[in-house]
Amino acid sequence: MFLVELFVQGLIQGSVYALIAVGLTLVYGLLRILHVAHAGLFTLGGYAGVLVTNATGSVAVALVFAALSVGAVGMAVYRFCYEPILRRPPYVALIASIGLFIAMEELFRIVFGPFGLTYDIVPLQGSVVIGGMYLRSAELVTMALAAVLIGGLGLLAGRTRIGLAWRATVSVPEMAESFGIDIVKVRYLNFFIGSALAGVAGVMVSVLNNLVEPTMGSVASYKALAIIVLGGLGNVRGTLVAALTLGVIEAYGTIYLAGFLDRDAIAFAVLIVILMVRPQGLFGRSA
Amino acid sequence: MIGAYEISLLTTIGIAVTFALSLNLVTGFCGQISLGHAAFLGTGAYVAAMSVVAGAPFAVGLIAGGLVAAAVGAVVGLASLRVRHDFLAITTMGVGFLFVGFTRQQDWLGGEMGIAGIPEAPFGKVGLMVVALGVAAATAAFSVYLKRTWMGFAFDAIAADEDTARTVAIDVSRYKLAAFALGTGIAGLAGGLYAFNIRFIAPDSFGFVESVTVLAMVVIGGIGSVLWVTVAAAALAVLPQWFQAVDDYKLLLYGVLLFTVMRLSPGGLAGLVARLVRGVRQ
Amino acid sequence: MTAVLEVTGVTVTFGGVTALDDVSFVVHPGELLGLIGPNGAGKTTMLKVVTGIVVPQAGTVRLANADLAGLPTHARMRRGLGLAQQLVRTFDNVSTIENVMLAAGRQRTASPWAALFQVNRSVERRIALELLERVGIADAAEQRPDHLPLGYRKRLQVARALALDPALLLLDEPLAGLNHVEAAALADVVRGIADDGRTVVLIEHNLGEVLRITDRLVVLDSGRKIGDGEPGAVIRDPVVHAAYIGEGEAA
Repeated sequence: MFLVELFVQGLIQGSVYALIAVGLTLVYGLLRILHVAHAGLFTLGGYAGVLVTNATGSVAVALVFAALSVGAVGMAVYRFCYEPILRRPPYVALIASIGLFIAMEELFRIVFGPFGLTYDIVPLQGSVVIGGMYLRSAELVTMALAAVLIGGLGLLAGRTRIGLAWRATVSVPEMAESFGIDIVKVRYLNFFIGSALAGVAGVMVSVLNNLVEPTMGSVASYKALAIIVLGGLGNVRGTLVAALTLGVIEAYGTIYLAGFLDRDAIAFAVLIVILMVRPQGLFGRSA
Repeated sequence: MIGAYEISLLTTIGIAVTFALSLNLVTGFCGQISLGHAAFLGTGAYVAAMSVVAGAPFAVGLIAGGLVAAAVGAVVGLASLRVRHDFLAITTMGVGFLFVGFTRQQDWLGGEMGIAGIPEAPFGKVGLMVVALGVAAATAAFSVYLKRTWMGFAFDAIAADEDTARTVAIDVSRYKLAAFALGTGIAGLAGGLYAFNIRFIAPDSFGFVESVTVLAMVVIGGIGSVLWVTVAAAALAVLPQWFQAVDDYKLLLYGVLLFTVMRLSPGGLAGLVARLVRGVRQ
Repeated sequence: MTAVLEVTGVTVTFGGVTALDDVSFVVHPGELLGLIGPNGAGKTTMLKVVTGIVVPQAGTVRLANADLAGLPTHARMRRGLGLAQQLVRTFDNVSTIENVMLAAGRQRTASPWAALFQVNRSVERRIALELLERVGIADAAEQRPDHLPLGYRKRLQVARALALDPALLLLDEPLAGLNHVEAAALADVVRGIADDGRTVVLIEHNLGEVLRITDRLVVLDSGRKIGDGEPGAVIRDPVVHAAYIGEGEAA
């Protein structure tokens, strides 16, 4: 029973990872940029969640607001940070992104204070018993949101014209352009959706922990990067599997590796071991 | 006569310059981005501190720190042979996290609390300052020399284009390993000096923030430029101590500088100065 | 007389698609061999097999009687191959002459730790300057390659490959992208290199220049060898003719 509970806890954590990592892998697939600042958008979502919920009393309103506002900020990040340096060597965008991320974290600290914010009344605190297991409403909502949003994204990409254009742009940008696809529009869409998902993840994490603090994104950013590498950079399905797998491995690892490795270091131990065996990631195409 | 404050400041500068130049060797010369370089500073610091606490002479602790860091660096280098470019950046970032996550959980390394009460160097604070500045000067001289050797020449080729470097018969893998071993070994040396200077180390002294700080020094100075990386490292080490406001907003400053430099002058100060000189000549 | 290069029964498949099907040919000392074929014939794949980037499912590649199997690219270059890639790839962080010097210094770069104790570059500089003169771009020696026109960069690649003093020089479409005056001039340079006694394999689409300068042709089509012999005779062969006409219709 204990093992099953750990597994479910792993899936919950994995859902959060998935919501964050999908946006990251989409940006990589489209622009070949490691978008470290993505984790800053995740934190921004957390602040939006606490502030809007405390002001309106509705976490649903907060979720919608976080998705839209963080999505919009994501588009702005593309427009003002990445677009001007796309033609430079890849390390330029990477270092710029790290700078942006660090600056965002510091701004959160300066604006909202170093100790973080909490909910006046923590939402989604009910619990249900499923198969003898207590699950908090917030945990169920997190999993449901991840499933619905990422499932919806799959439908959008698979069934719609814009989705088709999107996938074409990711796989062969030169060809997509010659077919008359508006690449710039696809990029904005990409940043909006990826950032909105990260914003939603931020709200849910702030609810789960009843806390949002300036450095909330640090660990998340490194883990999300590890996950998208494991999933085969740019590969959405691989990213989902890797996110859930890592969540579960961590849940067990916290118990069985305690006293040897920090929870937050497990992701990288797994990453390094796997990369040594399969340099292209778990689901990457071999070069 | 210089006071205790100046001595401590100069020691800090010496350590920062050594550390920044060690990353410049890997990232600037050989073109391999490392986002976890603080792990090697930490490895050197822990090895040196443990050795000295156990009764070994300071010189032995310092050298052991450098050697162990180089060995760990060579292992990370091996990982870098398997992965390329973007993957490498993430792997090195992971190494940084692994270091912190590992040392935190090791009781024999002091766990979260780290190692306190590292004995004072027998040659005193002034002696330590002289050693730190000497090591920094030696590292700078070595960097300039390396750039002129055929090793440095081969690094140029690898930094520009790995695949094409292979077509001119360069064994890219072995050169990368060499770059990692050298760069991380020197970082370990800086780590030993750090431990003797502060006399207290803990896992969090060698986290992502430190890795970003040293990256900022290299990037702001100009990736690959020995002179300007030295200048930037000294400046970024001193500014937070001179200006409280800079210390409070240190990370914001680093973040904004990293971003701005990449956005406006990817060559850093070195590139900026080169452009100015060209502009004046024309 | 032993062959410089001996390719025997090389077969390569990518995910079920056969790129090369049991291809064999030899390159004799001192000859300028043209390796031609329509798009997708397998020329580039063959080159990748020879340089060690692609591992064949079957077959062997021997350079001066030594099997190259299992050797990485840099080791093959050290054993006597020289390569000018199809897409121009120069080291843009050093000068044009330094690009060539890097190749000329292959003895000095053989081991990283030995290279750490070698500083003198004057011998390599002299060799590199001669080679830049040989290909006709000595005037650009001190410039950055990324500032040079394509014709110069193509010649730079040839000089850089020559600087390895290779037993076999591989040129992958050196004339592509050049206008016909530039192409003819570079083709003359290639012919001259062969006349100096260097063995050369030339992969090229520009049939006119290929017929003008090569000693012998090997023709690939859809992964198979369909011709091998004196250029004039091979090109009149109905099979070879059909392969090219077929391409003409498709294009």
